Amino acid sequence: MSASNIRFIAFIGGSTAFLISASIFLATIGKPPLTTLSQMVYYAFGDSYSLSESLVKATPILLCALAVILPARLGLITVGGEGQLYFGALTGTAIVVGFPTAPMLVLLPVMILAGAAGGAAWSGFAGLLRAHCNVNETISTLLMNYVAVLLVNYVTYGAWKDPASLGWPATMMFPPAAIVPSVFGTRVHAGLIVGIMAAILLHIAVTYTRWGIALRVIAGNRKVAAMAGFGFVKQTIMVMAMGGALAGFAGICETSAIQGRLQAGISVGYGLTGFLVAWLSGQNFLRAVPIAILIGGLIAAGDALQLYSKIPSASATILQGLLFIAALAASGLAGRRTARHG
Amino acid sequence: MAEAEVLAVAGSWVAAMLRSSTPLMMVTLGETLTQRVGIVNLGVEGQMLGGACVGFSAAAATGSPVLGFAAGAAAGLLLSLVHAALCLGCNANQIGSGIAVFTLGLGLSSFFGRGAIGGKVTGLDPLAGSGYVDVPLVGPILTQLTPIAPLAIVIVLVAGAWLYRTRTGLNWRIVGESFQTARALGIRPMLIQTQGILAGGLLSGFAGAILSVDYTQTWADEMTKGRGFVAVGLVIVARWNPFLVLPVTLLFGVCEAATLRLQATGLTLSPYLISCLPYVASVICVIVVSVREGRLGGMPAELASVFGRRS
Repeated sequence: MSASNIRFIAFIGGSTAFLISASIFLATIGKPPLTTLSQMVYYAFGDSYSLSESLVKATPILLCALAVILPARLGLITVGGEGQLYFGALTGTAIVVGFPTAPMLVLLPVMILAGAAGGAAWSGFAGLLRAHCNVNETISTLLMNYVAVLLVNYVTYGAWKDPASLGWPATMMFPPAAIVPSVFGTRVHAGLIVGIMAAILLHIAVTYTRWGIALRVIAGNRKVAAMAGFGFVKQTIMVMAMGGALAGFAGICETSAIQGRLQAGISVGYGLTGFLVAWLSGQNFLRAVPIAILIGGLIAAGDALQLYSKIPSASATILQGLLFIAALAASGLAGRRTARHG
Repeated sequence: MAEAEVLAVAGSWVAAMLRSSTPLMMVTLGETLTQRVGIVNLGVEGQMLGGACVGFSAAAATGSPVLGFAAGAAAGLLLSLVHAALCLGCNANQIGSGIAVFTLGLGLSSFFGRGAIGGKVTGLDPLAGSGYVDVPLVGPILTQLTPIAPLAIVIVLVAGAWLYRTRTGLNWRIVGESFQTARALGIRPMLIQTQGILAGGLLSGFAGAILSVDYTQTWADEMTKGRGFVAVGLVIVARWNPFLVLPVTLLFGVCEAATLRLQATGLTLSPYLISCLPYVASVICVIVVSVREGRLGGMPAELASVFGRRS
């Protein structure tokens, strides 16, 4: 059997396993499985409104997935998408809070750059620690997630809290000059376009450029890489910072375009979801795009189910967990078979 | 301040530190044992949530905190079984599988815990009745602590002695160091890795139940607040040594106790900034350990396949 055949069978097997386990769960909570599942497909991609909601959810997931895939090209495992997203939202908002009356042509780009720079700094710091002090990046990014979330809580409950928000922990509403533009008049915003463009560009860069070769050589053998003049230290900091910039960009987009102000709880686990999307895509930038949209649809459908069918939104989290388990099991088993067949 | 007052304050600090360290101590010990056999389990956060939710519900339904602990531990065990099946049975990536287990535990506990939100249970009785409050230093400790904190310390010490002093403990360490050697010695590595994952599941579920049944005596969505993830980091700080889990998690407990106590003193610093303290402290600890060792000192060699090659 060829590798692509095995992958196809794994895909079918994983989907079947997911559908069976999801049906068992839905039957357990007293909902008709087939009706509910088809409702979910409809709520995810059935009409233009559902589709746009799915794409809205998919945007930060895709950007966070890219933030995982790029460092993974160097063999780095980062789980800090969530923290980078929060810190990017924080630094981007700082610009808006500091210069709320600046004209759009200045405010919008500076805000976005500040958001991306914040994410880059947050992730780059972990890269710096990894490159210079040998600090494991999985652990440092994991712990830094909590610090970033708490910093956002700090400013939204304290220094930047809008007195007009009547006790609700949030900053002032962003002025129109600081709103990331939406596309086609829906809630889908420019972040999605940037995410897809970034996926394509990064794919081209790691596949066809000298830099892509450098990453592959460093990941493969650091001594050979050093002989060829590819520095581990520089590349580690760079891929971590670039990834962080994407996640930070996701954070400021989510704040500006979706929420309209910085508030506690910007993300519902987009960072970790992004990590799993990265893994399900097999660390492939292009494959991450449809998978992120699929997961975004699942989350959006969960919200809709809660609204229309009175199924708690936590059930979407459970279905997401079941999906990940089925997909990981299928791809793990497929990987073992491909390895055996050479 | 009078001397008696100082002693009373010191006593209640120690009690607060021990109370908040106990759940973290158990989950960190569990993760240490799991990583000792060469497996990383990021699902401990979800297992803790499952343990907290199931433990709380069981304690509320039966009125028995002990049954709550048992049910919580069982819930953690069941969730860790998923991790074992995924990464040992299906060869799935360990980090991915851990996050999947976390997602499942988060969803299940939040779904089935809806009815329990805002409920109250009575935990274990304190070590001593309120008559002993005025005994210097130990008075506040004995009246504020339940038997669960000393029990946790005993469990850590027993686990450490078991790992370093017994034959089965040696087998576990061999599996973590080298799969090949273990197989050559006739030890079945897969079996031991399964045991390691399940032991971690049992302890993390127990830790969750301690949190909901004994420490807070209530259930709230996502109440573990990342303690499980923090435990994964603290394992490194404790250098994969169960005995070192004790001081490391106590240090963390001091930070957490400080967060609560400093707020009570009316300090103007934001509580959110103080809450960063434990996380920042553990990052600093990981940095210090990494710089001093030049690599992750004491790391079981089989973990290198998960944590990437070290040069």
